[in-house]
Amino acid sequence: MTLVSELVLTRNQLLEIARHRADDIIKAPLQRLSAVTTDLQEGVMHARMQPIDRLFSNLPRLVRDLANELGKRIDIVTSGADTELDRQLIELIRDPITHLIRNCADHGLESPEDRRRLGKREAGVIRIAAAHDSGYITIEVGDDGRGLDVERIRQKASAMNLASEAELARMSNDEVCRFIFAAGFSTAAKVTSVSGRGVGMDVVRENIEAIGGTVSLKTTVGAGTTFTLKIPLTLAIAPALIVRTAGHRFALPQHAVVEAVAIWGEESSRLEDVQGALMLHIRESVIPCIDLRTLLKLDGEPEAPEQERLAVIMRFGPSAFGVVVDTVSDVQEIVVKPLGRSLSHLTVFSGNTILGDGSVVLILNPNGLAAHIGLDLANHYSDAAQSKQLAPAGTHTRLIVFRAGNGPLKALPLSLVSRIETVAREEIEDIDGMKAVHHLGKLMPVIDVNRCSESSTERLHVLVIGVGGEPMGLVVSEIVDIVEDALAIEIAGKTESVIGSTTISGQATEIIDLQYYMRIARPDAFARGNARRYSVLLVDDKPFFRDMLAPVVAAAGYEVRTASSGAEVLELVKHGVQFDALVTDIDMPGMNGYVLAQRLREDPARQALPIIALDAHAGSNIVTAARAAGMAGAVGKFDRKALLEHLKNALGSDRTILQGIEAEFLRGVAA
Amino acid sequence: MSLAPRPPHNVGPAPFAGQVAVDRSVFTVVAAGETLGIPIASVRTIFRVQGITSIPLAPPEVMGLVNLRGKIVTAVSLRTRLGVERGADHGSPLAVGLENRGEDFALVVDEVREVVPLPENRQIPIPANMHAARAGLVREVHQIGDRILTVLDLDALLDLGRHHPA
Repeated sequence: MTLVSELVLTRNQLLEIARHRADDIIKAPLQRLSAVTTDLQEGVMHARMQPIDRLFSNLPRLVRDLANELGKRIDIVTSGADTELDRQLIELIRDPITHLIRNCADHGLESPEDRRRLGKREAGVIRIAAAHDSGYITIEVGDDGRGLDVERIRQKASAMNLASEAELARMSNDEVCRFIFAAGFSTAAKVTSVSGRGVGMDVVRENIEAIGGTVSLKTTVGAGTTFTLKIPLTLAIAPALIVRTAGHRFALPQHAVVEAVAIWGEESSRLEDVQGALMLHIRESVIPCIDLRTLLKLDGEPEAPEQERLAVIMRFGPSAFGVVVDTVSDVQEIVVKPLGRSLSHLTVFSGNTILGDGSVVLILNPNGLAAHIGLDLANHYSDAAQSKQLAPAGTHTRLIVFRAGNGPLKALPLSLVSRIETVAREEIEDIDGMKAVHHLGKLMPVIDVNRCSESSTERLHVLVIGVGGEPMGLVVSEIVDIVEDALAIEIAGKTESVIGSTTISGQATEIIDLQYYMRIARPDAFARGNARRYSVLLVDDKPFFRDMLAPVVAAAGYEVRTASSGAEVLELVKHGVQFDALVTDIDMPGMNGYVLAQRLREDPARQALPIIALDAHAGSNIVTAARAAGMAGAVGKFDRKALLEHLKNALGSDRTILQGIEAEFLRGVAA
Repeated sequence: MSLAPRPPHNVGPAPFAGQVAVDRSVFTVVAAGETLGIPIASVRTIFRVQGITSIPLAPPEVMGLVNLRGKIVTAVSLRTRLGVERGADHGSPLAVGLENRGEDFALVVDEVREVVPLPENRQIPIPANMHAARAGLVREVHQIGDRILTVLDLDALLDLGRHHPA
């Protein structure tokens, strides 16, 4: 693994060198080397991944032994045993998990007599569930026992002087519970051989934090306690954001980064100094921030004017905080090396790494930074409201859920629907081999989704689609609901008419592919593109920027498709994928943005295609080069406003129309 | 100050009579005009430091991190560690690559000199009038010919951040 890490680093170094000199002879073999290295890295990473069953398979025996020792009856239920994670991590979490199970068995579960008296099953249940969750593995260890005794924890915390009586009285139960993660904390009245042998929850917390994870807990009196561990998939190679502040560069682990936002001027995010504490207003919420320059006592020259500085929003359990930096210069894969022991007291850093250019940078430790703000890791309680506010804009979509004949529920983004009509079955007419209804005095082609008009009731609904002058309709049998949900496709569609399947309000739902139906009903309108939203193809080799910018563009009313390389774009084009504008990164391995633009222009049909260049810094030289390559302009990757301006100038936005319709429509639904 | 030799440090190499000659040799360096010995077993390489990444919040003697052929080493200024003003910065200072307790360091010095074998039985007690902070960094003192050579205690010298000279 170390060898692969070194190889990746050397590759990055070579790429960095090649970037600065236009030597075409070495470019091709270097690209091949790069691709092979990536494959090898993936291969080795994959070979290291093992199902967590390796750990789970030993648990029944552990629990049986515990049950015998404690004179309790315990059932163990595991799920997600096939979840894969790094072999090394499995070994590192073995002890903490074992400890949590002992804890559940000993302190959590009641004796069989007590359970009977309480009306519970005699056998207590310990549940362990593992699952993937956006670059992390979450492992839940829970019991259905008595729950934590908050009063006892309060007393103990007071006795240990962890907080004053007054503070404790003010704290919520959840806040009090986090004291069990404090060093040397144990409320167990008797020390048993099973747990409470001096190895406390503080050690579990330390072990999990050491591998970049977090631990949180939820408890309900009489119903049990659940611990949730959140750990990264792998330790070895991780993408990181390289930020610059006052002449220094630092790496921020990307798994913790939510987004980077401007702190000045833009109405959506604004930084405010509240009694010396920096607070960032962002989309209705306020989050604490630290300025790296102040925190690290950096006295170098600022690298950007005050109003162009950025706040990098870091995920921290259910909450978040911001780190104010001068600029974000790059995203790189880094090989994390721990700090030497002599520097380990610097908790704001978690390690160091060598960048592509050979220089050393320090890796900022999100947990250490959070501690500086006063956020405590143990205080992780599910605060759904808060995390929802911080979700990037545009990840939630209003969906209309409906039924068409038999089969699963179907859904469509509500923004695509301009009206809902109710029609009688006999109003649907057969004309020229297709179906149509009278709509606003004109014939409108309709698609009988799933042939529901044949089997369905007398009254049918028609979803009217199309903002342009040529609407079409989808005949469905029942409108079920309008929900706001993350449009995450869980299973890709097998049939042409379905984009994929997802879970909406607990039910499997097909997201239908409107384009498929439009192609049937209005082939001409589809080709002209006036009955659909403008689509934008976003190209960037870094998933971070794709993930960051796609929602921004989508939220502005465009349809977004992403690609990770120029080659992928050409492939899409070859397969007939249409788009109205291209937004491309300049600096990409393989084929850079300029070359991609030129290749696309080779087809006369795309002479007029607006192409916008993306670069970390859209300096004047980039803008000039972009224009020379036939692009409409260049914008900075963090300058969303400029990006949307450019798109609007190139295409015009029909967002306002759609929003108006949606609002009107929702009023109708509410009435 | 006791006249007996200092008890061996429980982690570092223990100085005792009868060790093979190579272990009894020291690598001599110059910092702030003073010649000091470094136990040769710890010395890995000598190189010119280029591209130091400074570490915010680190103790003043820590100059930063250096990429030494793919390895990240902590650069420590011997002058600052000894309580002497760090000399004028010139492009790429000279450093001795060291390994101490599993960690790699670059000890930045003014000059490097020769390897000096330590003669048997010429060890003298650490002078009682040496400043306590400095004495804490000294492992042993030898009389070699007409010179007095101080051998540094790397464990103490590289114990950064925790143990600070007042």
